[in-house]
Amino acid sequence: MIGGGWYPIFVREMLLFRRKLLKVGYLFSAMIVPIVYLLTFGLGLGRSVRMQGTDYLSFLIPGLVAMSSMNNSYSWVANALNLNRLYFKTFQIFVQAPIKSSAIMIGEVLAGMVKGLFASGLIIIVGFASAPGFSLTPLFAITLLLNCFLFASLGVITGMITKSHEDTATYNNFFMLPMAFFSGTFFPVDRIPEVLRAFVWIFPLTHTNVAIRKASFDSTALLSLGVLLLYAIVFFIIGSRLIKNYSE
Amino acid sequence: MIEVRNISRHYGKIEAVKNLSFRVDRGSVFGLLGPNGAGKTTVIKMLTTLSKPDSGKCFIGGFDVVADALAVKSLMGVVPQENNLDRELTAYENLLIYGMLHRVPDMAEKIRSCLSTVDLWDRRDSVVMRFSGGMQRRLLIARSLLTEPSVLFLDEPSIGLDPQIRRQMQDVIRKTRMDGRTVIITTHYIEEAEALCDRVGILAKGSLIALDTPDSLKASVGEHIVEYVNGDGKLIQHICRDRGEAHTIAQSQDCCVTIRESNLEDVFIKLTGERIE
Repeated sequence: MIGGGWYPIFVREMLLFRRKLLKVGYLFSAMIVPIVYLLTFGLGLGRSVRMQGTDYLSFLIPGLVAMSSMNNSYSWVANALNLNRLYFKTFQIFVQAPIKSSAIMIGEVLAGMVKGLFASGLIIIVGFASAPGFSLTPLFAITLLLNCFLFASLGVITGMITKSHEDTATYNNFFMLPMAFFSGTFFPVDRIPEVLRAFVWIFPLTHTNVAIRKASFDSTALLSLGVLLLYAIVFFIIGSRLIKNYSE
Repeated sequence: MIEVRNISRHYGKIEAVKNLSFRVDRGSVFGLLGPNGAGKTTVIKMLTTLSKPDSGKCFIGGFDVVADALAVKSLMGVVPQENNLDRELTAYENLLIYGMLHRVPDMAEKIRSCLSTVDLWDRRDSVVMRFSGGMQRRLLIARSLLTEPSVLFLDEPSIGLDPQIRRQMQDVIRKTRMDGRTVIITTHYIEEAEALCDRVGILAKGSLIALDTPDSLKASVGEHIVEYVNGDGKLIQHICRDRGEAHTIAQSQDCCVTIRESNLEDVFIKLTGERIE
């Protein structure tokens, strides 16, 4: 894959990730937000609510998987890249290595995907244990992978353009947080006021939530997958360009 | 080996490097000497592909640093001024990742050799954040040598090192030169520049104000300095062409006088009127 220059970057991230996994606090922090939502909305509200013809928990779990994969793929890459570029300066060794900018991009994105998939995996385990209607389909897996890829790519963009670590929190508050709540994670987007609905369909997470809940590859699912793929390609190209044009 | 042609670099309104040109021959040690803020690190960043010049060109081994960046990157090793080691990884892992990025053959053996050179082999499995500042700088040097680079850049390598380790590092630089490789070093330690460099460029406020061998630079200002403290408590310095002139001046003073050989700081003071801090 583009000369294999991505592999050392991926290995580095995995070495760092392995160290984090050995810390109890990391596992807890990766799970805490979705578990709180699960307990509040799923086990609390969910007992008396049905959504799209299924019990609420079975509706909610795929949304939480989408949200968790988004947050973890994005945040890990955005924060790590920002810190490595501005404070720890470790990004310099990638820039000074004889590898292409696309290889740096691939390494970072794949590492972000692993972290997103890991966090999603924890929710999926909880889903199997608590939601009787929850199941994994090929469409679910493809959507999840695409979601992780595009948000890890978006994480690279944020990590490359932010001018301080505080900036990443600003992006989080203005873009990621509204997306997490208004993109159909907790309720279908057709329940959002019509004025806002057009905006909501711009969010990639909305299309992830549509596709990840579909049982088969129907036209709606394919359209959403197409939108996700388009976002993924655009974000990947922008991220690669930012790395290529990097200058201190 | 290295050719810099009229490069300039701005940061906002600040002109960090102004129309700089110099050449460095293969197998030599070239020093960039100057006070903090003179533009030394900016020059190194441009030569090592971290920063792009606003104008001008740099060539390493015949390759354009901007247009043929990948070819340039495979020739160089860098010891940066700011520590860019992965603090959460071990010493071994830091070199492993670096070696993988640069596709170093026989990696295990080379990592062992580089870590042994800087006396860190026994600490290879320690996480870098537990290393002292001096150990981290030694690890940076080991990492830069892993690829056996044709050109080695060292940006203020002696900062924070105790004298013993500084000497150890200087030995590594001398050995690198003896292996036929080119070394560019920035420093504001006068003795270091004099001890190591075949040629020295003196930078002040982004401009190269002198460029020659250390001996020629010193000869250009006068080989001896007479120093004494006058009645007002001020340090007075006379630059003299030879020892005879120095003795004549010394004998004319009725206070305690020191005669010493000139150094590169005297050159800097003569050229700029300021000291290297």
